[in-house]
Amino acid sequence: MAVSQERITVYNLADLKNTSDDAIPNYLNSLKFTQSHRLTDVRLSLGFSAFTLAAACFLWDYKFGFESTKLYTGVAVTIYTLLNGLLTYWIFYVEKGTIYEGTAPSGEKIKISTSTPKKTVPEYHLSIEIEPPKKAKGGKKESFVIIRPFTEWFDAAGHFVVAPFQGMLAQSISVVGKADPKRAAPPAGAVDQPPVYSPEMLAALADAQVSVVGSAAETATTGSDAAKKAAAKRRKA
Amino acid sequence: MFSSIGNPRQAAAQLMNFGLILSTAFMMWKGLSIITDSPSPIVVVLSGSMEPAFQRGDLLLLWNRNIQAETSVGEVVVYNVKDKDIPIVHRIVRKFGTGPNAKLLTKGDNNLSDDTELYAKGQDFLVRKDIIGSVVGFIPYVGYITIMLSEHPWLKTVMLGIMGLMVVLQRE
Amino acid sequence: MYSSLVRLQNTFGFFTTVIFVVAALIASTDFITPRAPVVSTLKTNSVQVVRGRPHYYSSKKEEYAVIKFSLEADLSSLFTWNTKQVFVYVTAEWPHTPSAIAAGNVTENQAVIWDQIITAPSSDHLANLGPAAMKKLRKSAAGKSIDPSRGKLIIKNQKPKYQITHPSSKIAETDNVVLKLHYNVQPWVGLLTWNQETDFFKWKKLKNGLSKKFALPAIKTKKTEGQKGSSK
Repeated sequence: MAVSQERITVYNLADLKNTSDDAIPNYLNSLKFTQSHRLTDVRLSLGFSAFTLAAACFLWDYKFGFESTKLYTGVAVTIYTLLNGLLTYWIFYVEKGTIYEGTAPSGEKIKISTSTPKKTVPEYHLSIEIEPPKKAKGGKKESFVIIRPFTEWFDAAGHFVVAPFQGMLAQSISVVGKADPKRAAPPAGAVDQPPVYSPEMLAALADAQVSVVGSAAETATTGSDAAKKAAAKRRKA
Repeated sequence: MFSSIGNPRQAAAQLMNFGLILSTAFMMWKGLSIITDSPSPIVVVLSGSMEPAFQRGDLLLLWNRNIQAETSVGEVVVYNVKDKDIPIVHRIVRKFGTGPNAKLLTKGDNNLSDDTELYAKGQDFLVRKDIIGSVVGFIPYVGYITIMLSEHPWLKTVMLGIMGLMVVLQRE
Repeated sequence: MYSSLVRLQNTFGFFTTVIFVVAALIASTDFITPRAPVVSTLKTNSVQVVRGRPHYYSSKKEEYAVIKFSLEADLSSLFTWNTKQVFVYVTAEWPHTPSAIAAGNVTENQAVIWDQIITAPSSDHLANLGPAAMKKLRKSAAGKSIDPSRGKLIIKNQKPKYQITHPSSKIAETDNVVLKLHYNVQPWVGLLTWNQETDFFKWKKLKNGLSKKFALPAIKTKKTEGQKGSSK
């Protein structure tokens, strides 16, 4: 699973963000983090109850006509507006781009929200909140921001490359590093430095026969051509 | 679009987003219905009987509440004739009496005679409850697309085809 | 996602937004344009009540009134760049039931006796006219996109377009009848507006829109059959 099968358009910021967002829960859950679905579940129940209400309103309107169901329709429209308002509130003020909420094997609670605030700059902004386990007294809530270019883990053809992405997380977030010491090999705290690839990672990349176009290698290389060929092969298959 | 079927919550969220687009459109329409008290607050003009004011394809916004005054002569109303489904947009030219049982006669500005012949058998006048709204707002041409779709059914097929093609193309 | 189709979609979406915003702006200019319609004359010239068939398709004989009238009015301020047409109509209004007569409720019965579509030059081509009349109409406003002079009405001893009746078939010897001038401004886009009873910001109420009260006479007996088919 070093390189994703799917290819995205690298010019589409939303695609870059969504693909990266999807990779975070996969990675953390594979490290035995327990994911909490509280935010998503509330959003889904708000959304689906609104939808169900609208469907019911559609049915009674279709069956009994407008005049005789006016009162119910009025009430339904009001409740629907409220539910939708709540949903919007939930998405913008409670979820705030949160894509992962869970507990690390070591007991810390972690919350990751992501955004791409600049429309023309392909940078991934991660806000991370870490809350120490309840039993550990004196522990402080920690929160920080990581800003990285997407080019670190997407190749020129639009393939998502897993190793540098997971490395980025493991090196920047102590809790993740603790759970995955292999990826966290370079010392954590290199948040604002250009990425450094560990020998293991480079080996993994070599195995995968793809190059990584990172901030250190902006120009296309023969390696990326190889990646294209590989991609073409996959598509033929 | 549904590339992440593997994750049930994500699939549910995508389904929800799609459903909410439909239901919000429907509920906005119903909300407008409730505010205007009209079962069909926006109608498309289908005939030329009100020309040159309204032409085929123009969009009319209706209001069906009597807050300040009763619906009276001079108002352009949309009404339904008993047992006929096609709503008609004409002007009230006579009103006899007051209240919900006032007798109303309508006529198209561009027609020579009044609507007596359009009404149901034995019906000489309309009453207030036959009316589904008075015209208050006007947007030209926008409704023509619905006329085209109903008159040329093949256009519907073409549009559905294009939409289908878009969904398929967007999966890449 | 970032394909030509999506771009096409976005362009179309933006295009519609722009169109609707521009339309809303145009519609809102109606409110900043002053209106001051005035009627200088609205009076009856002759009033008759006849018993007969008011329409060619009338199934029964009934009483109907023929009201000839004169009208002078200046509605020129209603013509702006967003005016498509002004529909001018004169109604006869009268009370019929004893309670309405006692309360002086003139608006109990209303019937249009005459109407006229006045197109703005921008919508002349839509008018339902013969070729000769159309040519004359278009010539009258050649080179103009707005022609306020069309709002100046001088009509003398006008025969009514519609004979007024009542569902009870009785209309003779009715007191307290008035004529009232109304107008309906039809915009190219926006809100339809009618004559107002009160001032509304820059729009003044229609001055002098009512005639003096008059009475409908008793039935004129001669020539009852001669009216048959004379009107539509």
